[in-house]
Amino acid sequence: MKERTFLLILILTAGIGLALTIAHFLYAIYAYQHCSIIYFIGKELW
Amino acid sequence: MKQYNTAQMQKRSQLLLRQWAAILAVAALFAAFNFSMYQVLTRRLAGNFDGTFQARMIDLESYLPHQEETKLPETHTSLTLTGDLPVLDGATALVPVYAAVIHNLYPEGCVTFEGGTFSDDNSTGENFAADSVMQYKNTVRGYKAVVDGETDVFFGAGPSKEQEAYAKEQGVTLVYVPIGLEAFVFFVNEKNPVDGLTSDQIRKIYSGEYTNWSDVGGANRTINPVSRLAGSGSQTSFLKFMGDTPVGGKSLFALTGGAIGFSFRYYMEGIVENEAVKIISLDGVYPSADHIRDRSYPLVSSFYAIYREDNSNENISVLISWLLSEEGQRLVEESGYVRVVE
Repeated sequence: MKERTFLLILILTAGIGLALTIAHFLYAIYAYQHCSIIYFIGKELW
Repeated sequence: MKQYNTAQMQKRSQLLLRQWAAILAVAALFAAFNFSMYQVLTRRLAGNFDGTFQARMIDLESYLPHQEETKLPETHTSLTLTGDLPVLDGATALVPVYAAVIHNLYPEGCVTFEGGTFSDDNSTGENFAADSVMQYKNTVRGYKAVVDGETDVFFGAGPSKEQEAYAKEQGVTLVYVPIGLEAFVFFVNEKNPVDGLTSDQIRKIYSGEYTNWSDVGGANRTINPVSRLAGSGSQTSFLKFMGDTPVGGKSLFALTGGAIGFSFRYYMEGIVENEAVKIISLDGVYPSADHIRDRSYPLVSSFYAIYREDNSNENISVLISWLLSEEGQRLVEESGYVRVVE
């Protein structure tokens, strides 16, 4: 594919990945602030 | 149309392959990062963060008074309250106590629900009607309700500074009558090798001085000190425990570490009953009922029946006297707590 098309797809992929990661972060911050600490600690991986 | 020879075709194919590989690598990088974050953090939060779940931190339906299948104890008391029945409310951990008071002292039919039957499928996890003698606003809203005169007697731990200030602002004096004993406890994951800590070690963990479990004889893993909602009974007790030691911040990375949290003993052992966590000893003493009774556990505190000094409901003094009587104290014990009057 043309270099311009490649760069466009690459930037688009990175943009979507970044947006989803930010959404994941925001969800996790909200959920962490509101979660039950007993369940949170109980599900810890050791 | 441009014509390509075989070598050019091969070169173009290789370029195309590299381009797609680069695109897929970027996508895979994000996917791998998000998957790791899900495993370490999000998975532990899923399904337990919404308001309804928080309000349901107790299975309220199991503790409803005057129901055939209830976990509430029977005291077979001769006292039955009549007339102006005090409206009762309390902390989540004390639902078994104040619901048992209604179950044993109040006439049937005084606990009512919006729509006629109990439902926890809503944003507050309950649907007590406005005229019901049992309410469930929990500590943060419950303290306000007793000051505002919506609740007659609130069952809870001592107030936070903000709750004291709110009563003062409103010109209300609250009376605190100790009716039972409870232990403020710290807990960790059941697989965490640490079984006990000293008060000093815990203060150093929450102040940020100790950041790794190896600092207190545990595994080489970051410590994630977890706090509660401001104004909740356990957060107020925690701040009292910390005293003049300031609570430090923590890095985002600490969220992936081994956590330590705090709560009240009976709430953990008798209500939540989560076997994936364990209560730890404090200064070498485990918070068993015996160690609460003889006060050898360092963090034993009273819980109270709290009411407005200017409340003119005559049944309040009858109720308080009964709670401090042998029958009332037996009810406190049978509800899972430790009596305050021997």
